[in-house]
Amino acid sequence: MARRKRRAPQEGDFQDPLKNYDGPQRVDDLERSLIEAKVGDMKIQPFATVTPQTSVQRTLEEMAKLNIACVLVVEDDRLLGIFSERDVLMKVADQLEQLKDRPVSEVMTPKPVYVHRTDSPAKAVNLMAVSGFRHVPIVNVDDKVVGVLGPRRVTAYLRNHFKN
Amino acid sequence: MGLRQDILSDPVSVLELRQLIAVKPGTTVRSAIKLMHQHRLGCVVVVDDNNQPMGKFSERLLIKLLVTDPGALDQDISEHMASTWAIVKQSDPIAKVIECMEADKLRFVVVVDEHGHPVGITGQKGVMEYIAEHFPRQVKVQETEAKLYMDQREGA
Repeated sequence: MARRKRRAPQEGDFQDPLKNYDGPQRVDDLERSLIEAKVGDMKIQPFATVTPQTSVQRTLEEMAKLNIACVLVVEDDRLLGIFSERDVLMKVADQLEQLKDRPVSEVMTPKPVYVHRTDSPAKAVNLMAVSGFRHVPIVNVDDKVVGVLGPRRVTAYLRNHFKN
Repeated sequence: MGLRQDILSDPVSVLELRQLIAVKPGTTVRSAIKLMHQHRLGCVVVVDDNNQPMGKFSERLLIKLLVTDPGALDQDISEHMASTWAIVKQSDPIAKVIECMEADKLRFVVVVDEHGHPVGITGQKGVMEYIAEHFPRQVKVQETEAKLYMDQREGA
């Protein structure tokens, strides 16, 4: 059976379905920045890490000394968990004597939600709001921890947009 | 209107306020912690007999206390409260909440009505939720093992 010869494409054959699509309109610079910037461009450092074997007491001392709200629990550059002020309140405060020599891995929040440094700030903020975690670790393409984003850093970011 | 303009014009009353946990001087730190634990809230506000805020006790102060003097949990909370706090009115713009938190490095602000009576607290979480409502499509749920790329190519 003879094959039908294929007609060469002519000018005007292709109708672009997105020809009249303008994309979402960002009304102001804050919206544009939240959607189009990268989390990695925000202040995500410094951050503190401990190993899973670090004792609860040592971890608390580190948090108090640095005046920080959380530490990331990391082993071989791999994020295992996060230990935050909320973990102290909910798991440690009323039984510190029994827990102070235990490893922090027993009281940390394992497998925390995280974002990649190339994600948008809007995604990070939404994740914080929806998941209820105030601190979101930031990882690079190799899943290595490169920072942490907390509400204070987000507030400072927002505040910068109101200074102008 | 854009998000920036909304933050400048929307009043604090549109934020989801959290219940304010008020305790009187004389309450022990341990009792206050129990209330924070029950309400899953990061601070309590210490108020006087006229319900006017005198100070606050937060998770940050708790950590310092646990490290420096764990025995102090049975002491009066007014000996360990912070005297830095901020008050905004329900009618103030949300931008004022951001301004107060950033200026004084606070996590919470006390929200009062037109008569100055506390009606709740808001703070970083309230602002996050407000912003999140503007970008509802940005959330993706993932596990910590999730990767941007595959270890091996798929198929033959």
